[in-house]
Amino acid sequence: MSNTWYLYLFFSAALVFAGLLGLLGKRNLIKLFICIEVVGKGVSLLLLSTGFAKGSMLTAQALVITYIVIEVSLVATALALIINIYRTTRSLDIRGLAKLKG
Amino acid sequence: MILQTALLIGLVVFSVLAILLKDLLRSAIALAVSSLLLGIIFFRMGAPYAGVFEISVVAGLITVLFILTIALVHKGDEVRESRLVNWAFPLAFVVFLVIDALVMKGLIGKVPALASGAESGTFGEVLWKGRTLDLVGQIAVILAGVFAVLALFRKRDKHE
Amino acid sequence: MIILFVVLPLIVAGLLPLAGKVSRRVLPDLLANATLLFLLVYAAVAGRALIAGGPVLHQSSWLGEAVGIRLALDGFSLLMLVVVSLVGLAASLFSIDYMEHYGAKGNFYALYLVMVAGMNGLILATDLFAVYVFLEVAAVASYALVAYGLGHDELEAAFKYLMLSVVASAFLVAGIAVVFGMTGSLDFAAVASGLRELNAGPVLGIASALFLLGFGLKAALVPFHAWLPDAHPSAPAPISAVLSGLLIKVSGVYAMTRIFLNVFGLTPALSTVLLWLGAVSMVVAAFLALGQKDMKRMLAYSSISQVGYVVLGIGIGTPLGIAGGLFHLFNHALAKGLLFLTSGSVQQATGTRDLDEMGGLAKRMPVTAVTNLVGALSISGVPPLNGFWSKLLIIVALVQAGHPVFAVVAVLASVLTLWYYLLMQRKAFFGQLNEKWAAVREAPFWMTAATVFLALLCVGIGILFASTVTTWVQPAADILADGIHAVAGSWGF
Repeated sequence: MSNTWYLYLFFSAALVFAGLLGLLGKRNLIKLFICIEVVGKGVSLLLLSTGFAKGSMLTAQALVITYIVIEVSLVATALALIINIYRTTRSLDIRGLAKLKG
Repeated sequence: MILQTALLIGLVVFSVLAILLKDLLRSAIALAVSSLLLGIIFFRMGAPYAGVFEISVVAGLITVLFILTIALVHKGDEVRESRLVNWAFPLAFVVFLVIDALVMKGLIGKVPALASGAESGTFGEVLWKGRTLDLVGQIAVILAGVFAVLALFRKRDKHE
Repeated sequence: MIILFVVLPLIVAGLLPLAGKVSRRVLPDLLANATLLFLLVYAAVAGRALIAGGPVLHQSSWLGEAVGIRLALDGFSLLMLVVVSLVGLAASLFSIDYMEHYGAKGNFYALYLVMVAGMNGLILATDLFAVYVFLEVAAVASYALVAYGLGHDELEAAFKYLMLSVVASAFLVAGIAVVFGMTGSLDFAAVASGLRELNAGPVLGIASALFLLGFGLKAALVPFHAWLPDAHPSAPAPISAVLSGLLIKVSGVYAMTRIFLNVFGLTPALSTVLLWLGAVSMVVAAFLALGQKDMKRMLAYSSISQVGYVVLGIGIGTPLGIAGGLFHLFNHALAKGLLFLTSGSVQQATGTRDLDEMGGLAKRMPVTAVTNLVGALSISGVPPLNGFWSKLLIIVALVQAGHPVFAVVAVLASVLTLWYYLLMQRKAFFGQLNEKWAAVREAPFWMTAATVFLALLCVGIGILFASTVTTWVQPAADILADGIHAVAGSWGF
C-alpha cells in the first residue's frame, strides 16, 4: 500500500473518531445526527482512498456513490424520526429519551 | 500533495466545527462546507463522479434536509450541551490525533496488498455493468426511505 | 431465477401504494401475502432440486450482455431463504388483523416487503459490498417499522436503534475497505483466494475485528446488545417477530458466518472469540431476562441469549457444532417468531404487556395459550420439540470438541431459560383469571392461524428432526464446514 494511503487513513480515522466522540458527548438529537454524518465522511474518504491506492478509481467511485445514496435514505428516515420525536416530546434533548432502559 | 493535505485539514476542521458549534444552522453550514471540501478532494484524487455526487448530494441535498428539519423544530428550546464536553472534546481529539499519527507511521509498509491489475472500461460500464446489483440495492434503499418517510408522516387519527 | 427473491418483493412493494388506492382493505393484504407465499413455496419446493448438483450461480444478462448481478444459492443460503419465507409469511398473515388499527396498511406492507427483499438480497449476495448494501436496505425499512406506531416509546427505541446500527454499518464499511485494500476485490471467491495468497495475519485480524463489531451489533451479541431490549418490545408485534426471528440472524449471524467461515476461514483465534461471545451472551441475557415484567422485553432478552447459543455452536467449528448452531438458528426463528406473535395477540386483547397484570388468560384465549406454550417449551429445549434437538447437538458438539465447561454452562443456561419461560407462561396464562380480562376474546382469525402454523412447525420439526436435519441443515453445515473451498473454487464467475 502506497504511503499516501496512510495519509488519507490518518484523516479518515480522525473524522470517524471525531464523530464517535461527538456521539458520546452531545445531547441535541440533530447534533448527534450531524456526528453520524461526519463518521460517514470519514468512511467514504477511506473507501475512495483505498481505491486510489489500488488504482481502482472507477470501482471505488461506484462504491462511494452507492454509499452516498444509502446515506441520503438514512438521513431522510432519521430526520423524519427526529421531527416526530420533537412533535411528541417538544424537545430535542436525548436525555428526554431515557424512558427505556436498554 | 500540499494542497490536498491542506484540503484534508480543512475537511477535518470544518467537520469538528460542525460538531462543536452551538447554533444548529451554523453547524449545518459547516457540514456543507466540509462536504464541499471533500468533493474537491475527491476531484483531485481523480474521482470526478464521486466528487460531483458528494457536492451535489451531500453538500446540497442533505444540507437542505438538515436546514428543513432545523426550521421545523426551531422553537427556541435550546438544548443545553454539557460544558464538560466542550473542553473535553478538543482535548480527547488532540490526544487521538497524536496516537493516530504514530499508529499510521508505524503501519507504513505493514499492510500486505496484492498488486492489482488495471481497470477496464469506462465509469459508466463499471457502474452499470460491473456493479449492477448495487444499483438494484440503491433502488431498494430509496424505496425504503420513501416509504419510511410516508409512514412516519402519515395522518395520525388513531392512537395506539 | 433466484433473482426473484430480491426483485419480486421490491416490485410488489412499489405497486402497493397504487393497490392501496384501488382497494384499501383487501388488495394490499392479498398482494403482500401472496408474494411471500410464492417465495416460500419456491424456496421450499424448488430450492432443494436446484442445489442438488452444487451451488446455483445466477448471472443476469441484459439484452445479451452479462450484467453485474451475481447471486449464488447454496445449502446455507437456501436454509436462510426458507426460514425468512416461513417467518416472514407467518408475521405477514398475522399483520392482516393486527395492523388494522395502526393505519396505512399498504405502506406497512410496502416497508415489510422491502425489508424482506433486503434480507433475501443479503442472503444471495456474492460480494462484500452487496452484503452491506442489502443490509442497509433491510435496516432502513426496519427503522421505520419499529417506529410505526408513532408513540413516544416506539420513536425513542427506533432512534436509539438507528444510531447504534448506523455506527455498526460504518465499522462494516471500514472492514470492507481494508479487505478491498488488501485483495483489490470485493467478490467472495476472489477475496478468499486473495487472502490465502497473502497470508495476511494481523491486518486480517483488524478487518475481522471491524466485522465483529459491526455484525456483532447487528446480531445483538453482548456487549453490543443494548439497543435490542428497547427496539423489539416497542415495535408492533409482527415486526418484533421478524426482527428477533429474522433480521438479527440474517444481518448479524448469517453475514458474519458467511464471511468468517467461507471467505476468511475460521482460525482458532476467531473460533475462541466466537465461543466466548456466544457463551457470554447466552448467560448474561438469560439472567437479565429473569427480572423482566414486560412480556416482550423478556422475549427480547431471550433472543439475545439464544443468538448466543447459535454463535456458540458455530464457533465450535466442527461439522456437528455448525449443524447444531444452524439448526438452532432455524428453530429459534420459528419459535421466537411464534412467541412474539402470541405476545401481540395478548397485547391486543388486554392492552398491556405487563406480566403482573395478566393472569389466567388460558381460560379466555386457549389457542394462544397453547401456541405460546409450544413456543416457550421449544426455546427452552424441552423434548420432543425442535429446540431440544438443536440444543442437544450444540452441547454434544461442545463436549466432543473438548469444551466441557462450555457444555455445562450451556446446559445451565438452558435450565435458566426454561425457568423464566415457565414463569412467563404461568403469570400470563395459567392461574386465576384476573377479572379485568373476563370479557377478553381469542385473537382474530389470521392472528391465530399464523401462530398455529408456526406452532405446528415447531412440533413437526421436533418429531421429524432427523429428516429435517439431513434435508435442510446438513447441506448448509457442509458448506460452512468446507470453509474457503466452498466459495473459492465453485463460486468463481
